[in-house]
Amino acid sequence: MNHHLSLISQKFVLAAALGGILTATAAHATLNVVATTPELAAIAQAIGGDRVAVTSLAKPTEDPHFVTPKPSFIVKLNHADALIEGGAELEVGWLPPLLDNARNPKLALGAPGRLQAATVVSMLEVPTTLDRSKGDIHAMGNPHFMTDPLNGRAVAQLIAERLGTLAPKEAEVFKANLAKFNERLDAKLIEWQKSLAPCASKRVVAYHNTWPYFAQRFALKVDLFLEPKPGIPPTPANLAAVMSRMKAERIRTVIVEPYQNRKTAERVAAETGAVVLDFCQFPGGVKGTEGGYIELLDYLVQSLAKALATEGKP
Amino acid sequence: MMEALQIMKWPLLACLLLPGLLVYLGLHVVQREIIFVDLALAQVAALGSCVAVLLGHEANAWQTYAWSLSFTLVGAVIFTLTRTKDRRIPQEALIGIVYVVAAAAGILLLSHSAHGDEELRRTLVGEVLLVQPAEIGKIFGAFAVIAAIHYFFRRQFLALSYGPTLPAGAGWWDFLFYVLFGLVVTGFVHVGGVLLTFSYLIVPAVCAAFVADSLPVRLLVGWLIATLGSVAGLASSYRFDLPTGAAIVCALGVALLITGATAGLRGKPSARLKR
Repeated sequence: MNHHLSLISQKFVLAAALGGILTATAAHATLNVVATTPELAAIAQAIGGDRVAVTSLAKPTEDPHFVTPKPSFIVKLNHADALIEGGAELEVGWLPPLLDNARNPKLALGAPGRLQAATVVSMLEVPTTLDRSKGDIHAMGNPHFMTDPLNGRAVAQLIAERLGTLAPKEAEVFKANLAKFNERLDAKLIEWQKSLAPCASKRVVAYHNTWPYFAQRFALKVDLFLEPKPGIPPTPANLAAVMSRMKAERIRTVIVEPYQNRKTAERVAAETGAVVLDFCQFPGGVKGTEGGYIELLDYLVQSLAKALATEGKP
Repeated sequence: MMEALQIMKWPLLACLLLPGLLVYLGLHVVQREIIFVDLALAQVAALGSCVAVLLGHEANAWQTYAWSLSFTLVGAVIFTLTRTKDRRIPQEALIGIVYVVAAAAGILLLSHSAHGDEELRRTLVGEVLLVQPAEIGKIFGAFAVIAAIHYFFRRQFLALSYGPTLPAGAGWWDFLFYVLFGLVVTGFVHVGGVLLTFSYLIVPAVCAAFVADSLPVRLLVGWLIATLGSVAGLASSYRFDLPTGAAIVCALGVALLITGATAGLRGKPSARLKR
């Protein structure tokens, strides 16, 4: 397999440069790591450093529920030493058939090369009964858990452990990188909580139910959605209901992600005197978040704090 | 190269085996000037699946197939009854109406199901890249049976499309034609999506009409174009990492351009097929 490796890695570097995906210098990479989504890739990169070559399948501007399969995905999965997925059914619509085609035993369920981030976080909104009529409900709970920095911390820990198992010689490097990552994250978390403290229990409208973990960590309320049910496009009646609550409660911020219909959010904002705030779960999805996981959260916290601080002022 | 084959072998097999029958039916469809009947039937079948999903069946449960099959049968009845001699209402118009109404009804139905938009997009472009060997086998089996029926009754079916006189009981043969056609379209839409199905039906048939007059030659030319288009589309999909179905559709479009330009340069008018 190794003789394929350099050629494939070169291709990866090219693709990554074009797509703005994080990647390591392939020259001394020891592990090929594939992540389903860019924020997992970013953490893997921070932990693996130059000992790993990381690629993300989904682009930061793509809906993680629906990713268009391309031949390179199968190649990447075929050559991967490790696969990091969110799990919790986020990728259930597109990842399993790709894995079937890639036929890589290293990525089999239960193998050390298969990392499911959802296994190390405590899930919110786990439904007690399953009912399709409630929209796109995930049986294992809300899969957007990486928006809570402490969940990011737990996932970083899992990645460091597993990479260490897969490349024992590099385990110390991964441990050191993890310590650095945690130190930065912990310092930032204190800063973030300070920034958002004045906004505690303020309510924000979101397009999709992506933010319960973020809201819980920073004591915000993100419980009004433009979608009537998760995954179902906004209906006039639901928009009217949301707008009247926005006016009644003076809610002035609508957050929208790159792959959601910004026009709907703009319309709602225009009618209620609110502002549309570009949010994103993935580094690189919004300008200024390309740096990595911590930079992404930094952007989210600072832009929301700014928006909420000016709220209500003429 | 080996890796390309490893990754693309099942899509390649699907795109070499399955379009054969589509190309043949395409010759009928182009001759009868009912070009969009496949889109309409595919959309009617998709509407059946939407109903099944709304009733709580899984997307690949047998009930879903039954629903989409019975909707296809209804579509076949509609098209059989509307093949009128009344020139004021061209059948193409009715086919178009069935298509848009079925599509709009699908949107209405799926507006209450999670991520319905994305499901609709998926029926459009399909997932030929991820086709499973078992799926190819099943559809190839069904196609072989349908091809055998078409071969056995070729006299009646050809008279139906090419004349000069209609066979006895033309209405029933028409109905059978649409039913078989609906089965083929529904089967292939499941693998390749609506766009790819349409392209395999129409593009090779039109290319063939540019260069040949007799049915067997047109069939051979059509198969050649379909094969070349598939291989070129799959190769560029792999090489440039493009969505596979869309790449094949565009490759077939390029094939039509080349054929048309060549035929134009040779100054050969595309004569209508005579029998």
